[in-house]
Amino acid sequence: MNARAETADACDLRFGQVGIACVRVRRVDAAALCDELERRVRAAPQMFARAAVVLDLSHLPGLPDDGAVDALLEAVRSAGMLPVGLAYGTSETEALAKRMGLPLIAKFRAAYEPAAAAPAAAQPARTEPAPPPEPILSAPAAGNRQSTEHHIGAVRSGQQVYARDCDLIVTGTVANGAEVIADGNIHIYGGLRGRAMAGAQGDEKARIFVSGFRAELVAIAGQYRVFEQIPPELEGQSVQCWLEGEKLLIARL
Amino acid sequence: MTAEIIVVTSGKGGVGKTTTSASLATGLAMAGKKTAVIDFDVGLRNLDLIMGCERRVVYDFVNVVHGEATLKQSLIKDKRYDNLYVLAASQTRDKDALTMEGVEKVLDGLSEEGFEYVVCDSPAGIEKGAHLAMYFADHAVVVVNPEVSSVRDSDRILGLLASKTRRAEKGEPPITQHLLLTRYNPARVAIGEMLSVKDVEEILGIEVVGVIPESENVLTASNNGIPVIVDANSQAGQAYSDTVARILGEERPLRFVDVPKKGFLQRVFGG
Repeated sequence: MNARAETADACDLRFGQVGIACVRVRRVDAAALCDELERRVRAAPQMFARAAVVLDLSHLPGLPDDGAVDALLEAVRSAGMLPVGLAYGTSETEALAKRMGLPLIAKFRAAYEPAAAAPAAAQPARTEPAPPPEPILSAPAAGNRQSTEHHIGAVRSGQQVYARDCDLIVTGTVANGAEVIADGNIHIYGGLRGRAMAGAQGDEKARIFVSGFRAELVAIAGQYRVFEQIPPELEGQSVQCWLEGEKLLIARL
Repeated sequence: MTAEIIVVTSGKGGVGKTTTSASLATGLAMAGKKTAVIDFDVGLRNLDLIMGCERRVVYDFVNVVHGEATLKQSLIKDKRYDNLYVLAASQTRDKDALTMEGVEKVLDGLSEEGFEYVVCDSPAGIEKGAHLAMYFADHAVVVVNPEVSSVRDSDRILGLLASKTRRAEKGEPPITQHLLLTRYNPARVAIGEMLSVKDVEEILGIEVVGVIPESENVLTASNNGIPVIVDANSQAGQAYSDTVARILGEERPLRFVDVPKKGFLQRVFGG
């Protein structure tokens, strides 16, 4: 009768949070991917050698076929990193992950925190001369956005609203401790007392518009400002926030 | 017919949930409604003290949830109003002793017994006990004190009421939310030491259903096991009566929210 007790202490099954690198693939070119990752591993071996990475295919114009994905995974491996899964994208990605025998890492935060993760593969696509037939996606193009997400009513403390690949309109107040995030622009027709993050996938042209400014934090494309004291000339005013170079600017409307 | 379920909740502790539950349930009974009030704070049983029935608890809420006693055996009849009943929490157990199915069974049982209102006194926090207390509710009374941490916690609770309840999960019409401001001291509001009614309404984006002034009668009444609403001479008691009337659909102006003006003699002689 002790059999169950004996097996039960064989392990603990827990959900934990671990840091993990995300390789966001910008074009299907296994050789270029391998070169770039190798360079990264050589530059910071303690950080990247045998590092677990998740492959994010959501920025490719279309999902590559199984052979191409195999080649990309092999490129990551031969560069000295260990691919452990695919980032969540569409149901097609899910089917692909199943065929590859890889787990799908859902709600992968790196998808909207480009500054924190995604160390690899982002720059090479821009810096290297790309072969002409392969389209390059540097930032979500305007045509990529489906529409606008509309949140009616208040966003309460502890709630998070994320508008993927589109703008976000909130008709209500965003409370202290609440978070609104969009890959595009954010419009808040109410007070902003919590956090607003626009251009979450790196769109530097994204803007934030607020009717009553009392924010804890605003961010555009990873550039953020926190407000321990809200500047008196802005407090409660209608403002917009935008990015000029690396500077996040805020002005009354 | 099914009973209307009202949860009294706040997130933060010590703001007056149990005091409010006791007065609200008593007020509903005074208005002629058959009412039960349930203490969901398993392990920190208090409601029976405020209701003055602590020496008559034989079986409790957990016993009914586990089928160790019937609802009839566990309901304690109030000594003042015979359409008011108390279901006490268990002091020797913890929140894990409650289950979703068990709570639903008790609430259904109360409907079958012909109760019109069931008041659920939620524990502080947002964990299991608080979740179960709000899950089946039709109305919520969110108790808030005029200070920033209480307001923020209430905001969190309002968010949970809109998403983590049976009505939200089934896509039914949302819970009716009532904001009740307690421990309000107009004099301290006037000198900027406390948030005003307007501040709280603006931050939370909903109107208050009542404002209960800070009053020593509340403590005295609690210590004597008498819900403060029974004390018709106290401001807090009158404010609770107004609140219950508003919840039942009556319109009444807010009282006790301004600094009392000194009379002529007081101005002349001081004091």
